[in-house]
Amino acid sequence: MAGKLTVVLSQSQGKNPAKQALEEALAAELLMDPEIDLSLVPHLVDMAADHPGLLYLRGVPGDAIVLSWLFPRAAFWTLDRQDVRGRFGVSLLHGFEEEEATPGSRPDAPGRSLYCLDLRDSDDPQEYLTEIRRIAKERSVPTVGLSLGPASGGRQPPERSSSIATSEPQGADAPRSPTTFEEPTTRRWYPVIDYDRCTNCMECVDFCLFGVYGVDGDGDVLVEQQDSCKKGCPACSRVCPANAIVFPGHKTPAIAGADGEGAGDFKIDLSKLFGAADADPLKQAAAERDVHLLRDGRDSVGMQGLENRVKDDLDAMLDGLDALAL
Amino acid sequence: MSADAAPLAENASPEDPSVGEELPTFRMGEFLAKFPTDRAYCRNHLWLLTTDRQEGGEPIYRVGFTAYSRRLLQDVYFLDWNVDEGQTVDAGASIGEIESAKALSSMHPPAAGTIVTLNPAPLADPSVINAAGYDAEDGGGWLYEFATAAPLLDAAAYVDHLGGVWETTQRIIKGQANT
Repeated sequence: MAGKLTVVLSQSQGKNPAKQALEEALAAELLMDPEIDLSLVPHLVDMAADHPGLLYLRGVPGDAIVLSWLFPRAAFWTLDRQDVRGRFGVSLLHGFEEEEATPGSRPDAPGRSLYCLDLRDSDDPQEYLTEIRRIAKERSVPTVGLSLGPASGGRQPPERSSSIATSEPQGADAPRSPTTFEEPTTRRWYPVIDYDRCTNCMECVDFCLFGVYGVDGDGDVLVEQQDSCKKGCPACSRVCPANAIVFPGHKTPAIAGADGEGAGDFKIDLSKLFGAADADPLKQAAAERDVHLLRDGRDSVGMQGLENRVKDDLDAMLDGLDALAL
Repeated sequence: MSADAAPLAENASPEDPSVGEELPTFRMGEFLAKFPTDRAYCRNHLWLLTTDRQEGGEPIYRVGFTAYSRRLLQDVYFLDWNVDEGQTVDAGASIGEIESAKALSSMHPPAAGTIVTLNPAPLADPSVINAAGYDAEDGGGWLYEFATAAPLLDAAAYVDHLGGVWETTQRIIKGQANT
């Protein structure tokens, strides 16, 4: 039997009673499970780098399941952005086939697995509990796999190979409560980069005129000034040729990190009815950038820098997704 | 009261300044949306009630969601603005986000103009949009004050407009629901 499995429930923003009810139902069940170590943290995107919830997450040494109101890919790369790294754990929610392509991770990520479950996939707590227990069982059975060997060039050894331990005895009537990190947060808005897709083409660095993107010492693009990002503006995601820029909170699934066809019940998007311009992604991106340039008292630049962009297949795909979200 | 829970009660609503009048209506399935005649409307489903004030020679209106847009949204859980008070915006600019039981959407101004003030009431408690969506008093469910010289629709013209777009609206919503 492996040690306790860490489960982190990242709470929803806003006051949606249905979301709060699901969170409460899950927390109540997981608290009663002696194999689970449950913690509650605010929304992943909203926690500042020094939020106790993030400090806790960074300190989790082994596998972890993160339940959040985000697409799994968005949650995974948001955690990466916050220095919570590992390998993308495969969830079987919604009949996901193990052979399907999954997001990769950085080559130097530790060998432990981060399972990101999207709380919008089902409103039935049992579906999540079944999957959590499946994962708990899976990790307790040593399997022959790459992750069992020493991680080649890895900075940290894979955790699952050394996770055999006995769980502490727990009195059946011992009062249990989740570890909570409820320090208040405010809504934040910034991109996260999917380094599995990013080709380091620097389009985002050129496009964003607010200095959000930069380049690290190795010449790799990174989100350097996330708080310079303009609330509500997803323009750089529209211009990214690799669709590698994720705004986890955006209403359009393709921008919020949906992987291919999204499952789950998405909310309808009334933006077109409420007056959004019907434009192609590059024109949309230019208009979004202009709103925020004007707000900062700067001059608008329109399509500057985008005139010569030839639409490729990925642009066409993004167009298609945008058209669906009409 | 939410638009959902009491679909036919718009006339009796205490905040409705047109109580007793025969209001222009538009039927959305089982829901009958009503439109007070004391104010103007725009094609992207907002009402505009004039104030006595002006900004830069343009009349200032209080702006809110019509019964039609509130019916599509249903219970509002969250809204947030991307603009500052005093900011000039173009028609079609994305000025904020709204999340409700049924929808997640960007918000756009009625026309080109100036966002004069943002109403603090729905920022503190978004449910006021459902409970008092036509209330243009302080504490009511209006969204912001907006100065514009753009031409607007009266209630009857807005209802005509709805007749023209209802089929497309349904198709859009059903198309999304099925994806």
